[in-house]
Amino acid sequence: MNRKRILVVDDALTVRLYCRDVLERAGFEVEEAGNGIEGLERALGGGFDLLLVDINMPRMDGYEMVRHLREAPALHGVPVVAISTEAADADVVRAYRAGANVYLVKPVRPAQLARTAQLLTGIPVS
Amino acid sequence: MNPLLASFVPESRDLLQTATAGLLRLERDAHDGAQVKELINEVFRAVHTIKGSSGLFDAAALTRLVHGAEDLLGEVRAGRLGLTSDMVDRLLDALDQVGVWVDALEQHECLPDDAEAAGSGLVAGLRALLPARDGGAGGPAAAGGGARADWLSWLTEAERLAVSRRLGDGAAVVAIRYTPDEGCFYRGEDPLHLLRQLPELLVLHIAPRTPWPPAGEFDPYRCNLVFHALAAVPHDVAAHLFRYVADQAEIVPLAPDALLEPDVADDAPAVLLPCLLAEQRRILALPAEDAEEMRRRIAVVAGALGNLLHGADLPVSQAEFDAAVSHALDTGRAAPLLALLDHLERPAVAAAPEAATRPATRVLKVDQERVDRLMNLIGELVVSKNALPFLARRAEQVHGSREMSREIKDQYAVIDRLAQEMQGAIMQVRMIPVSEVFARFPRLVRDLARKLDKPIALVIAGEDTAADKTIIESLGDPLLHIVRNAIDHGIEPGPQRAAAGKPGGATLRLSARQEGDQVVIEVEDDGRGIDPVRMRRSAVDKGLLDAGQAGRLSDQDAVNLIFRAGFSTAAAISDLSGRGVGMDVVRTTIDRLGGTIGVASVVGRGTSVRLSLPLSMAITRVMTVEAGGTQFGIPMELIAETVRLDPRRVRTIKHAQTFVLRDEVVPLRRLADLLGMATPPPDADAHHAVLVVRVGGAVIGLVVDRFREGMDVILKPMDGVLAGLRGYAGTALLGDGSVLLVLDLKELL
Repeated sequence: MNRKRILVVDDALTVRLYCRDVLERAGFEVEEAGNGIEGLERALGGGFDLLLVDINMPRMDGYEMVRHLREAPALHGVPVVAISTEAADADVVRAYRAGANVYLVKPVRPAQLARTAQLLTGIPVS
Repeated sequence: MNPLLASFVPESRDLLQTATAGLLRLERDAHDGAQVKELINEVFRAVHTIKGSSGLFDAAALTRLVHGAEDLLGEVRAGRLGLTSDMVDRLLDALDQVGVWVDALEQHECLPDDAEAAGSGLVAGLRALLPARDGGAGGPAAAGGGARADWLSWLTEAERLAVSRRLGDGAAVVAIRYTPDEGCFYRGEDPLHLLRQLPELLVLHIAPRTPWPPAGEFDPYRCNLVFHALAAVPHDVAAHLFRYVADQAEIVPLAPDALLEPDVADDAPAVLLPCLLAEQRRILALPAEDAEEMRRRIAVVAGALGNLLHGADLPVSQAEFDAAVSHALDTGRAAPLLALLDHLERPAVAAAPEAATRPATRVLKVDQERVDRLMNLIGELVVSKNALPFLARRAEQVHGSREMSREIKDQYAVIDRLAQEMQGAIMQVRMIPVSEVFARFPRLVRDLARKLDKPIALVIAGEDTAADKTIIESLGDPLLHIVRNAIDHGIEPGPQRAAAGKPGGATLRLSARQEGDQVVIEVEDDGRGIDPVRMRRSAVDKGLLDAGQAGRLSDQDAVNLIFRAGFSTAAAISDLSGRGVGMDVVRTTIDRLGGTIGVASVVGRGTSVRLSLPLSMAITRVMTVEAGGTQFGIPMELIAETVRLDPRRVRTIKHAQTFVLRDEVVPLRRLADLLGMATPPPDADAHHAVLVVRVGGAVIGLVVDRFREGMDVILKPMDGVLAGLRGYAGTALLGDGSVLLVLDLKELL
C-alpha cells in the first residue's frame, strides 16, 4: 500500500526532525520545507495527503501560506494542521479563516501528532 | 462524589471481577488454544481499561500497579511468557489490592497514605516475572506488550526527541527508576555517582519521594530521593551496574515504540476524534465574507471530514456524506454539513468514555436506594388500595348507595391489576443472578485448596438463576460457611482419598436452580460424608443428648445434629471453618430468609447441603385468623391446610391433645394459649377451626377462633423495644389503617 505523504513546514530544524521522527514511525512518508514560501511551492506541486504548517515563520508565516494554498481549488481538500505556540482564541480563529482544519498548540505529544495525522489522512484506526 | 469517579468505581469492580474470573478459568480449565487466547484477551482488556480510566484520577499507585499487571499480561498475550500458578497468584494479589483501593476511592476519593508503599512491592513482584529483554535489538513490540515506564510522560519534548533518535538508531535504551534505601548515605553509597556511571545517560530526573518536611524536621542524612533515568545502554549492562542495589532499582528496557505510544495512546482516538469533529464544526460556524469564502471553507472541511469518515469508520455512508457536501456547495451554506456533524458528534461524544469497554447492552445502573424507595412506595400503594373495598362496603351500608359501591369496586379492580403489575415489575428489577454470590467461590476454593493441599475442582452450575437481591445478598455468609465446611471437614486429604480408592482431585459442586417459586442451591462434595455413628457419639459426649435419646435417632436425624447449636465434630477447630459459627447459625439465617436447609450424606461418598429459598421476600402472603378476639397473620408458606374439626375427634395422649389427619397423628395446640391470652373455654360442641401448619418438618394443628381472608402484605420487622419480643415476625399495615401482627410460628412452637 502506498504510504501517505505529509509535508512538514517549519523553520526550526529540531521541530522538523521531531515531526519526521514521529510521523515516519507512524508509517508516513515525510517531506520538509523550511519556510512558508518553500512550503507553498512544494504544496502547490501536489501529491501530499496532509500539511503540517507552523504558524510563526519568517518571510511568509503560516496564516499567509495556508491562505494562498487554499486559493488553489485542487488543494481545497487537503487537510491542513496548523501548529503554533500561541493558544489564544484569536489566533485559532485566524488560522481557521485562513483555511486550516485543526490547530495544535506546541508542544504536541508524539501520540497526539501521530493519531491526528492518521485520522486526518483516513488511515483506519485500530 | 466526582461523577467520573462515581462511574469508575462500579465499572472497575466489574472489570476486576471479569479479570479475576478469567484468571481462575485460565489456570483451571482452559486447555484449548483458542479459548486460552480469548480468556487472556478478556483479562488483558479488563486490566487495560482499568488502567486507562484510573489515569483520570489522582491514583498514581493504582495506575502503576494495574500497569504492571497489564505488562505481564501483555507478555503472556504475545506468547512470550506462559501463565504459571505463581503468576496467577501475583496477579490476583494485585487485583485484590486494586479492589481495596477502589473501595478507598469510593469512600474517601483518594488512595490510602500507604498506597505507594503497598503498591510498589506488588509492582516489583509483577515486574520480576517479566523477562529481561534487550530493548533495541528485538523487533517491534506488540501493542501493550513492550515495557513502557509510566513516568515517560514527564519527559520534555527535547528529552523525548533525544531518546527517540537514539531508539531510532537501533540503540538499546533502558528506563531506570532508582529508589535508594533511606540509610544509603551511611553505607557510603552515592546514588548520583552510581547513575553517572551509566555510559550514555540521556535523561535524569531527581525528585523527592515524599514531600519535603518543614525545615525544622528535615533530616539531611536520610535519603528521600527517587531517581528516574533513561540511558542508552543494554539492559544487562545497566543491571550489572546496579547489581548491589538491585532491589532498589527498577530497570526496564524501553520498547522502540515506547515514546510513540505513551499510556493513553490506545484510547486517544476516542478523545481525538470528537475534538477533530468539533473543530470542523467550529470552522463552518465562523462568519464568512461571502458565499465564495463559505464554499471554499466547505470544501476545506469536506476534505478533512471525508478522510475522518474513511478512517474512523463513522456511522455515515459515503453517499450521505457526498450528498451533504454537494448540497452545501450548491447552496453556499454550511447547514447540511452541520446537520451531518450533529449526527456524528452526538454518539461519538456520548460514547467516548465508555465506548471502548462496554458492549452495547442497554443497561442502566441505578442506586439501590432509589429502587428500594420505589418498592416502598409501591408497597404503600398496595396497602392503600386495600382501603377501597372497605369504602365500597361503607358506600353501600352507611350511605345506601349500591351503585356507588359497584363503581368503587370496578375502580378497585383496575387499580388492583395495575398495582400487581407494578409489584411484579419492581420485583423483576430487584432480581439479581446467583452468580453475584457464586463469583467469590472460585477464588476462595482455589486459595483454601492450595492452603490445605487438597486438589479440588469446583463445578458451578446454574449461576444465571435469579432471585431477590436481599435473598442473594444474605446467602453469601451461609454459603461461605457451608463451602468452608465441605473443604475443611468433608473433603479428605489426598492420602486418605487414595486409600479409599477415590480420585486424588476432589470435586465440589455448587449449583442453583429454580423450583416453583423457590430457588434451590446445593453444595455437594465427594468427601468422607457425615457418619451418623460418630454424630450420635459426639452428641452424647457433648451432653446434648443422653445415650438413650441418641440411640433412638434415625441416621438422618443423627446427621441433622450438625444444625444443633454448639455442635462441631472436627477434632480440632481449624482456622478455616471453626470460627465460632456453626451450622446452627447458617440454619437460623436461612430460616430468617424464609427458606429451608437440608443435608444428605452417604458415608464415604460425600455430603450434599441443600438450601431452598423464596425467590422474593418483599411481599409476604399471609392468612389472617382470629384468636382471643384479636386478628393475627400467619405466613401462607407455613400453612398446609385448614380443617374443621369435630371435637369428638380430638384424642388426648399423655396430657397432649391430638387428632388424626389422614392416618397421621397431629398434635393440637390452641393459638390463644401459645400467645398467653386468657380466653374462655371453647364451646364443647362447636367444631374447632384448625390451621394445619408445617414448621421445621413437624406438622401441628393450631386451633383458632375463626379463619379470615388471605392477603398480601409488606412485612415490616418489629423495631424499637418491640424488636425484643419473640414470636412475632413483624407487622403489616392493613387497608383500613389497622395494624396486623404477623406471627413467627417457629419461635412460638
